[in-house]
Amino acid sequence: MVLGGVAGGGAYAAGVLGYLTWPEVMNVGYAPEQPVPFSHKLHAGELKMDCRYCHNTVDKTAHAAVPSTNVCANCHSGTYDDGQTKYTAVHTNSIKLLPVRQSQTSGDPIEWEKIHDLGDYVYFNHAIHVNQGVSCAVCHGRIDTMDVVHQNKPLTMSWCIECHRDPEPRMRPLDEVTNLAWVAPAGDELDPHRQLMRETYGDGENEIKASTNCSTCHR
Amino acid sequence: MSATETPNATRISPYWRSLDDLEQSPEFQQFVKREFPQQAEDIPEGVSRRRWMQIMGASFALAGAQGCRWQTEKIVPFAERPEGYVPGASTKFATSIEWGGASRHLLVTCYDGRPIKVEGNPEHPASRGAAEAFSQAATLSLYDPDRQSTVLQRSGGKKISREAETGWAEFEKFLGEQTERLAAAGGAGLGLLMPPSTSATIATMLGKIAAAMPQARLYQHSAVSRTNELAGAQLAFGKPVRTHYKLAGTRVVAAFDSDLLHDRPDSLTIARDWGDARDVDAEGFDPDKMVRLYSVESQFTATGSVADHRLAVKSSQIPAVLAELRDAIAHAGDGSHGKDHEQGHEEAHAEGEHPVAPTREEFIAVLAEDLAAAKGESVVAIGAHQPAEAHALAHEINALLQNAGKTVVYTDEPSGDVEFGTIDGLVGDMAARKIDTLLILGGNPAFDAPAELAFGDELQKVANTVHLSPYDDETSRQCTWSLPETHPFEAWSDAAAWDGTPSVGQPLIEPLLNGRSAIEVLSLLTGDASTKPQDLVREAVLGEVEEKAWKQFLHDGFVADSAAAPISVTAKQGIEPSSSADADGLEVVFRPSPQVYDGRFANNGWLQETPEFITKLTWDNAAVVSPTTAKTLGATQGEMVRLSHPELDAEIDLPVFVVPGTADDTIAVALGYGRTAAGRVGGYVAEPGGKSKYREEVVAERGNWGMKLGGGIPLLSVNAAPVGQNVYPFRTSKHTDIVPGVTSIALGKKYLLATTQDHFSIDEVGLEMAERRAGDLVREGTIEDYKDHADFAKHVGHHVPDVELWDELSYDDNRAWGMAIDLNKCLGCNACVVACTSENNVPVVGKDQVSRGREMHWIRIDRYFHGPREAPQVAYQPLACQQCETAPCEQVCPVAATVHSDEGLNDMVYNRCIGTRYCANNCPFKVRRFNFFSYTSRFREANNELLRLVNNPEVTLRSRGVMEKCTYCTQRISAARIKSKTDGRAVPGKIEDGEIVTACQQACPTQAITFGDLKDEKSKVAAKHASPRSYGMLDGLRLKPRTQFLARIRNPHPKLAKYYPKPGGHHGGGHGAGGHGEGDHGHQDEKHKDAEHSA
Repeated sequence: MVLGGVAGGGAYAAGVLGYLTWPEVMNVGYAPEQPVPFSHKLHAGELKMDCRYCHNTVDKTAHAAVPSTNVCANCHSGTYDDGQTKYTAVHTNSIKLLPVRQSQTSGDPIEWEKIHDLGDYVYFNHAIHVNQGVSCAVCHGRIDTMDVVHQNKPLTMSWCIECHRDPEPRMRPLDEVTNLAWVAPAGDELDPHRQLMRETYGDGENEIKASTNCSTCHR
Repeated sequence: MSATETPNATRISPYWRSLDDLEQSPEFQQFVKREFPQQAEDIPEGVSRRRWMQIMGASFALAGAQGCRWQTEKIVPFAERPEGYVPGASTKFATSIEWGGASRHLLVTCYDGRPIKVEGNPEHPASRGAAEAFSQAATLSLYDPDRQSTVLQRSGGKKISREAETGWAEFEKFLGEQTERLAAAGGAGLGLLMPPSTSATIATMLGKIAAAMPQARLYQHSAVSRTNELAGAQLAFGKPVRTHYKLAGTRVVAAFDSDLLHDRPDSLTIARDWGDARDVDAEGFDPDKMVRLYSVESQFTATGSVADHRLAVKSSQIPAVLAELRDAIAHAGDGSHGKDHEQGHEEAHAEGEHPVAPTREEFIAVLAEDLAAAKGESVVAIGAHQPAEAHALAHEINALLQNAGKTVVYTDEPSGDVEFGTIDGLVGDMAARKIDTLLILGGNPAFDAPAELAFGDELQKVANTVHLSPYDDETSRQCTWSLPETHPFEAWSDAAAWDGTPSVGQPLIEPLLNGRSAIEVLSLLTGDASTKPQDLVREAVLGEVEEKAWKQFLHDGFVADSAAAPISVTAKQGIEPSSSADADGLEVVFRPSPQVYDGRFANNGWLQETPEFITKLTWDNAAVVSPTTAKTLGATQGEMVRLSHPELDAEIDLPVFVVPGTADDTIAVALGYGRTAAGRVGGYVAEPGGKSKYREEVVAERGNWGMKLGGGIPLLSVNAAPVGQNVYPFRTSKHTDIVPGVTSIALGKKYLLATTQDHFSIDEVGLEMAERRAGDLVREGTIEDYKDHADFAKHVGHHVPDVELWDELSYDDNRAWGMAIDLNKCLGCNACVVACTSENNVPVVGKDQVSRGREMHWIRIDRYFHGPREAPQVAYQPLACQQCETAPCEQVCPVAATVHSDEGLNDMVYNRCIGTRYCANNCPFKVRRFNFFSYTSRFREANNELLRLVNNPEVTLRSRGVMEKCTYCTQRISAARIKSKTDGRAVPGKIEDGEIVTACQQACPTQAITFGDLKDEKSKVAAKHASPRSYGMLDGLRLKPRTQFLARIRNPHPKLAKYYPKPGGHHGGGHGAGGHGEGDHGHQDEKHKDAEHSA
């Protein structure tokens, strides 16, 4: 009886530990506080700014670069000592934007918290995905609805592989890649969608070959 | 068994890898007993343990990730991103570096603003894309934390370290005062010592100094100099002239103590021409006109090791040999010269059981005949260290052969307006108190100046001495001011190629350690201090030009079509070598080390660990001798001998390394070892009264004791023992490179030599099998074989029916990566090894670990000897992972950490590997490397932060317990695949042939390596695989390796062919030695017969 209780307790503890350290449980929903409470919901959602206005290397290199301070300052520069505003000025005196103005003046970078953090042995490349019709939303979720960005998808290897094995349902036309609100044709129309993707991304040399080789991501 | 006795009677293969191996010494037997000669729990001991820890620290690192939700990371974007800069994209810049007056022309890859990879500049005529090992290791030197970082002052035995911010200002103030005083006296008392330079900027600035201060004295010194070469030209032509060898279209090349394919300033160009000339598969290749290479030398050079015929002669005899050759060529017409020798020798040969080498007379007679028959299509090359008369003789012979202006082209030797004194002159002037302020800009004369000058001591007598150097080295220690010099990647400079092409050296990164370049220091003297170095370079090289021309210069790295014009000169005839050289007695021959050169690369772990091309020795220099000479010395392999000379006080102790094929009575020694102020890698001994910089290693050295005492905190500072022996004390002005009349005593002590050739033998059985198979592994034939049966290589080895044992992957609708390595082009020069190390973050493990067989190089160059030990021939085989289609490693991995990709790569997944080492055990090629220790962990330490920057961010750093290996630079394949789908090309996803270049392929000076898609029938690699010479290793195992080798084709002269036994395991049964040269038809029959027997 006691023994059974200990065994049961142990199993329960192991189960809890296992559940809590499950990557999906641990990482999904991770939403650290950022130095500037930047709202993607406002900028990308309501103002409909394109993702690439700020993340302007996303279709060119591995990194979807977080914008430099001067990109923020394009709209949010402060005022001169005499109260005159610089450039286009939105919320010139907002306390929330203080780090931006400080960075702009001092030249010191703003240190953002990294949310979507893959292992150092994983070589993810943004450019190839974005150029092959994989939308930002596939991995990052509806960023345009988030006031505070959180990790929306597990970003585990099995999750990556799932898509690499059958990418077509998760792809979309190139011009809809940064339109996070785009919805694929409904369920029974999946086949036409597949067909469309094959036509869009071609077959032969350019056919959709989402490689599942280990060396695709690990090298 | 002694070194000179007959090889073991039970031996089968005519191939052998080292004398240990040949003799089955007890040490060797012990070594091969275990595949990994020491168990993992054998923690490195004693001094070597410390050295290992130091090297670990000095050679690799990792920004790690630990914990469950791993450590959070920050994203730190620029406040203002520079225009055109894309984070995470790499950029390439053309630049040049030079040392010892020789320039290298490079294309450097920068990642996020830091140089991480060095390649040759493919557009530069003097590089054509290739780069040798030294240049490629430049990034590691750039991030060397041992570099000097502050201005130092020494006086009265005290060392004062100046603040980083103000140090240079203080020096400027000091120099300003001195210059004012000296200028008033017309420069009297000022001395300036520099290594030779091809820089136009420096020449201009020195001109300014000479004009402003006519009394100032300028001197030049470098340990490896061209003095003899220029004196030889003076002797032959009456003026200094520069020689260019053009191997394209030559038929006979004769190298005399000359490593023309590897060690000349223009070797990359020559090697490329050589590679093209030996390309049997090239369009229009005429087997009857294939270039034949002769080498006459005292020790193996890269050139000698690939020569068709090689004669071992003492270096001091080379002038006499040249004179004999000249006379023989003159008489070659009458046909009487060589015949007698040849016949006489043939009789002697018939009696002997083993093949012997041709005699000197016979060799010269054949060479003379061959040269005379190739007038205007031959080259006689001479090594720079040979005396002037040898150079003059070579010029004379080239004139005699009508080569001048065709295959041997002369240009004017560029000389500035200033006259330079020698280091002898400088020491004289210092002793005569003519110099009170001496500026030494670069070089390390206190370490490498001729011994009798006692340069360091003389330096003490000068009031103000200034040394500009990247390290606070041996010379800096003797000077009053020690200034940190920039790495060439940190500063503006320029250099002229060997052919005269002006080339730019541009900074790729801000000075990391507060350094300044020689140009910047000189500008303090010339009054140019307010001009930017960039403008000084621009003005000196291009003069007044538009911005566009300057931008073009920076983009290309050189000025196109600006090579010096050939001149016509008449060589003096009838030069007689002085007969002073005594033919008997031991002589020491020095040469710059292929690892550390003259000592300047001593602190570079990549180079220290690169196995020397012939001895495969790492982390040491040795007394390289022939077996006979070893007997004379009374020492065997690894035993210490003490060398002395009647005219010298110095004695040097060196371990003996026996290399057959070294000329008897020659002791060949590499320069540049034994540094005492290089750093933690190359050796660091504290100054008298000073402390070592290296404190953290004491825990490692003291082991548990130190741990307890210090509670983990190091208490004492320690020295880093010098690597190898310093032999400069044995080098004098009189005998710079060849020291005759040496005496020796055997010390009877053993010394640990970390040589890699015998590593990766499984056991005695495995070794014997490997020996027996050597002829299958590395396949060679003569040009006659090739003419008879171009596919002779395919008939060697076992052939098994092509039956699938399981469902194999099909590559029908995919790419199939493959590689071809042309053994006919490989020089064994190690450029690929260093390229791979740099590209793939291969760790440096240190001498102790190497001696245990744990070196980590992903590509190794196997070196085999075959033939008689008096005159062995060398075969090289670069070996990386063969990417077998039926890979044995994959079958045994319990966690699927090594699996096949659908493009045929044998992927290695580090994060999945649990370190069972089953794969390495099952790998027939022994190309997998295991991380016995966390060779990369030291990177996390604060004082190694700088060093981290050297790593290629595209490749994972492996940790302890993980297997690693070559994957055909899979990161480069991925990069090309991604680029093909994102750059908007006409056919998205199509990767053009040649678009992916592996690191080893890129570096190869002779273009021996080809890589590409085998499915693309038009690809170069598919053509190579289709060559009749191509073969896969161990074809009996049906591994279907993706790397195919192209058999080597030797081109022996018919009259000398008899001395070279047909190599290859197919001879079987102990008759591998001797006399198979005659009757090629008979040979073919025999081959087939043997193949049947062994099947």
